[in-house]
Amino acid sequence: MARMKFLCDDERCIACNGCVTACKQENEVPWGVNRRRVVTLNEGVRGERSISVACMHCSDAPCMAVCPVDCFYHTEEGVVLHDKDMCIGCGYCFYACPFGAPQFPQAGAFGMRGKMDKCTFCAGGPEKDNSKEEFAKYGSNRLAQGKLPACAEMCSTKALLGGDGDVIADIFRNRAIKRGKGSEVWGWGTAYGKPDHPQQQAPTGAKS
Amino acid sequence: MLLTRKSASAPAAQKRLARGLAGVLANTIDRRTFLRRSGIAAGAGAFASQLPFKLIGKAEAAGETKEEGSKVEVKRTVCTHCSVGCAIDAVVQNGVWVRQEPVFDSPINMGAHCAKGAAVREHGMTEHSHRLKYPMKLENGKYKRISWEQAINEVGDKLLAIRKESGPDATYWVGSSKHNNEQSYLLCKFVRLFGTNNTDHQARICHSTTVAGVANTWGYGAMTNSYNDMQNAKAIWFMGSNAAEAHPVSLLHVLHAKEAGAKIIVADPRFTRTAAKADHYVRIRSGTDIPVIYGVLYHVFKNGWEDKQYIHDRVYGMEKVREEVMKWTPDRVKEVCGVSEEDCYKIAETMAKNRPSSIVWCMGQTQHTIGNAMVRAFCVFQLALGNIGVMGGGANIFRGHDNVQGATDIGPNPDSLPGYYGIIPGAWAHWAKVWNIDLAWLKKQYASEAMMTKPGITVSRWIDGVTEKNELIDQDNNLRSMVFWGHAPNSQTRGKEMVEAMKKLDLLVVIDPYPSATAAMAAMVRKNGVYLLPAATQFETSGSVTASNRSLQWREKVIEPLFESKPDQTIMYLFAKKFGFADQLVGKKDGKQNIAVVNDEPVIEDITREFNRGCWTIGYTGQSPERLKLHMKNMHTFDVKTLRAKGGPCDGDYFGLPWPCYGTPELKHPGSPNLYMTGRHVMDGGGNFRANFGVEKDGVNLLAEDGSYSKGADLTTGYPEFDHVLLKKLGWWDDLTEAEKAAAEGKNWKTDLSGGIQRVVLKVHGCHPFGNAKARALVWNFPDGVPLHREPLYSPRPDMVEKYPTHDDKKAFWRLPTLFKSVQEKNKDISKQFPLIMTSGRLVEYEGGGEETRSNAWLAELQQNMYVEINPKAANDRGLRNSDYVWVKTPTGAQIKVMAKVTERVGPDTVFLPFHFSGWWMGKDMLDHYPEGAAPIVRGEAVNTATTYGYDVVTMMQESKTTLCQIEKF
Amino acid sequence: MISARKLVITVAALAVTAGLAGCGEREQVVVYQQGKYQGKPDTKPWDNDPGASVYTSSKWAKGDQGGWETALKSRTQNQNEYVRIGDQ
Repeated sequence: MARMKFLCDDERCIACNGCVTACKQENEVPWGVNRRRVVTLNEGVRGERSISVACMHCSDAPCMAVCPVDCFYHTEEGVVLHDKDMCIGCGYCFYACPFGAPQFPQAGAFGMRGKMDKCTFCAGGPEKDNSKEEFAKYGSNRLAQGKLPACAEMCSTKALLGGDGDVIADIFRNRAIKRGKGSEVWGWGTAYGKPDHPQQQAPTGAKS
Repeated sequence: MLLTRKSASAPAAQKRLARGLAGVLANTIDRRTFLRRSGIAAGAGAFASQLPFKLIGKAEAAGETKEEGSKVEVKRTVCTHCSVGCAIDAVVQNGVWVRQEPVFDSPINMGAHCAKGAAVREHGMTEHSHRLKYPMKLENGKYKRISWEQAINEVGDKLLAIRKESGPDATYWVGSSKHNNEQSYLLCKFVRLFGTNNTDHQARICHSTTVAGVANTWGYGAMTNSYNDMQNAKAIWFMGSNAAEAHPVSLLHVLHAKEAGAKIIVADPRFTRTAAKADHYVRIRSGTDIPVIYGVLYHVFKNGWEDKQYIHDRVYGMEKVREEVMKWTPDRVKEVCGVSEEDCYKIAETMAKNRPSSIVWCMGQTQHTIGNAMVRAFCVFQLALGNIGVMGGGANIFRGHDNVQGATDIGPNPDSLPGYYGIIPGAWAHWAKVWNIDLAWLKKQYASEAMMTKPGITVSRWIDGVTEKNELIDQDNNLRSMVFWGHAPNSQTRGKEMVEAMKKLDLLVVIDPYPSATAAMAAMVRKNGVYLLPAATQFETSGSVTASNRSLQWREKVIEPLFESKPDQTIMYLFAKKFGFADQLVGKKDGKQNIAVVNDEPVIEDITREFNRGCWTIGYTGQSPERLKLHMKNMHTFDVKTLRAKGGPCDGDYFGLPWPCYGTPELKHPGSPNLYMTGRHVMDGGGNFRANFGVEKDGVNLLAEDGSYSKGADLTTGYPEFDHVLLKKLGWWDDLTEAEKAAAEGKNWKTDLSGGIQRVVLKVHGCHPFGNAKARALVWNFPDGVPLHREPLYSPRPDMVEKYPTHDDKKAFWRLPTLFKSVQEKNKDISKQFPLIMTSGRLVEYEGGGEETRSNAWLAELQQNMYVEINPKAANDRGLRNSDYVWVKTPTGAQIKVMAKVTERVGPDTVFLPFHFSGWWMGKDMLDHYPEGAAPIVRGEAVNTATTYGYDVVTMMQESKTTLCQIEKF
Repeated sequence: MISARKLVITVAALAVTAGLAGCGEREQVVVYQQGKYQGKPDTKPWDNDPGASVYTSSKWAKGDQGGWETALKSRTQNQNEYVRIGDQ
């Protein structure tokens, strides 16, 4: 059983936005809709770190839980998708999502690409796989072509990994061992604490 | 109602959505949002053609082409942005480029792309494309559509008239690093057939100082190793390079090396994204690279970390440099550059104790009035550590454009014919023979033989060629026409003066897929006399492209030229027909024709074969189209760390046959991945430093010492370059075949068209055709033989100007008077009014002048505003806040309106501006001056509108990295 | 920063609570059920004939989930440059 996941290695991410345009290009996502974004912390100072963020395809997806019309579904390989014909564009999923993944196209309720748009893990939607209808609403269906998301496949430094969680964990683990330091990507100390500021040290029990 | 839950098949809802989508496809972007986000303030009416609808419309279009059973072809091409050379598989369906797939097999990028590479498919999209679609002509200040026939005839007639009235040197031809090798080479020939050396391309303003500095130090003006080889390094020092933004995929190799334990050092005025990945970062004052390098070298010498044997065997003049270095005591370094002794020591120790260690530089070192000296100082550092000619070491000089290396090697240069032969009479004779043209005819094309052997004006100075007083220029007439054949005007300094020059021209021709920056600037100051011709992109033709590491890759044609555009080689041929030298362009004489022509298009492979037959100096001879295509098909057989094929049809070759790939293709030289590497046999890509400067200087031996030679060489000591005389003396002449003897008689390794001399020297005797000499730490033929620090013309430190003044003014330098000291002295105290150091650089999303990338909606969305990075202290002192519009004012009187980005990336004394923007002119949007439908999506002020005077003392490189400005609230 | 984080946690917690009420914790996390999904059914990737899309690169037999997963697993290794470089 595959379980699709993304992982972004902040030791590698150089904020080049390759993942962002790979996504735009592969899925022909309109201007103003960003299924994927690169986030940089501590920009311009020591400790600058970037990671690429999109829908995390949560196992217990808050968007799915709160959707008033139940338009979300989990595929068997763990991808969170939604039916745009049902979606009402209310934005409740936007409240629920911890990562800002849902996107709301700019031209009104019946805007481009439906009412709510988000990363599909390049798995299209509930239309016929690889049909023009599916592409028009959801973009590419690379999983049905035996490929992985364009963003991860094209990442400039192979920082962004995408695929079966078990497999990418192996890839990442190997790197961590080569590096000879922590296997975690984002512990509290890394993500929020600045080594120069002891008052922002990790809360008890957190990693790193 | 909508809120009711629907069953799986809800036809009504689907129809609604379909209607919604249909509406979108027609025209539904939120213009206000776009305006707000893009920071463009202009009348809504002007926007119709500018909006990025194409993404929306195209979704449907691509879907339609996806019908089952339709034919899909995969074309392998190479990204056209930077010099890394990332391979791309373009998926083409019914002639439409519908998908792009990563090429995991490529040893160079292994499927990886940056923002630009992942978005190249936009080039193939026709809906709402921002390209120039048909030839246009400026009439009464507006661009009007004309036919190709009219364009060629009118432009041709005007150029012929100018040549008749004022001579061929009154024309200027800017070529392009975006052309492939074949087009660059053909343009070099084309301009010479027209009869002038007034031609140049981007390399002048990107790495000309590197090419001259490095070639004069050890032989060839190019990156010595490769991106891949950096994986073998144990320490890497970046100085004046922000590879994470300018060459993102190189970081794949760098970070891999880091993972294996390599130490990364970055020295730069900015805390760049590369610095964010470094183990150690040192902030320096812009323009003080030499003192920093010497400050580090001081500790190398003091601690005896230099490689004494290597220096003895392979380096000339190190003791002279050492004398200068030891004057740079830690106190003095600190005073000049602001770098502490601890930092210098740490860099020295890291680089010395983690050998092989490598260095990387880019525009941060080259674009200075002393750029040639800065790069040589960095070379000397590597020579001292014995790091040149070893795996994991080298001087990894990252070039800029995708084919800037190739255009430098064999393209339009004002001082050389293809292959660095120069423009001496012997070079003309050699090339006339290769080109199969009559040398006497060629001489008549020129104004005189003197003009034929006099280097032309450089692209950095063309404006002075137009506006300078006639009695001060070193040619009969001023320039009257300019042809921009793939070059952005906003990449050159002194923009304010450039529009004056544009105004004064009789004729301005722009040949480009995206000619809008030049077009808009010209239309701003002219009513007529401007022609725009749509060129095809590199995805609409085929040919070879040379990456920074000297590997050649073959691009397949992905799609047919879009709209009315034509490939550059076709446009050259059409003009050649008009000018009456079509036969000479394709080498048709005496029943022989070098280059076949199909439908007015010279056949690309034939052009490759022609330069294969002529470029012996730098080994562009072994890379036949057949060998290159075989490499592209068998990428998976090449090892990533060594670039060498293990088994398969390319067994033993290095990927892309990195030049020098000596001899004929039949010799099967594998290419040279790492230059000057004595540890390998010459037929395995090994070598040594070049004997290009004589055998001795003032009684000192310039050849390599005994025992220093490439592996397996018959000569175990230094030796000069090979010619027929040396071959005979050594008794090797009889190794030539009879036919080779006939061709080689009276020739040397560079001019023997049979390749016999190279074959015998390389294959039979394991020696290097260009000899075996020492590298020169002391380049006596340059103004500062030992690299010396000199302050920039616009220096923030009057006290330093006192101590380290610049060069004296020069007369008739590349045909123009060139000022140094007089500018510096006049502006000695200018920092009181303009206290901030202004520097510029790249963004990852855009490239070069940026017209092309700012026309790509996927990229444009990510950088919508031209900005200036300013330190919080400098901002607060001026009452500026983040995202405020500000005026950046410079001593030229120019002022540009940009957004403030308050950040600690820069120190309080420095501001940084990206150089990819154009389309605003000192506060005003130039939209009205663009040809309709061809304005880029994002427009902004060009930093070079405001940059100042200053040129390198050897190559005429522009000073764009260190000047001064003041910033005020808008 | 801290307040933002708290907000995220609060919102997420609220959301999770709402979700739990509907489905029950164990099922949600371990088994990927359709929940109360009301939309159109979606074809599973491996239920497509690999030849159905002209863009397909990997190979598996129609309906063979294991084969599809194996194909994808091997493709994932393209994201691991250690494999291409050969120093793993």
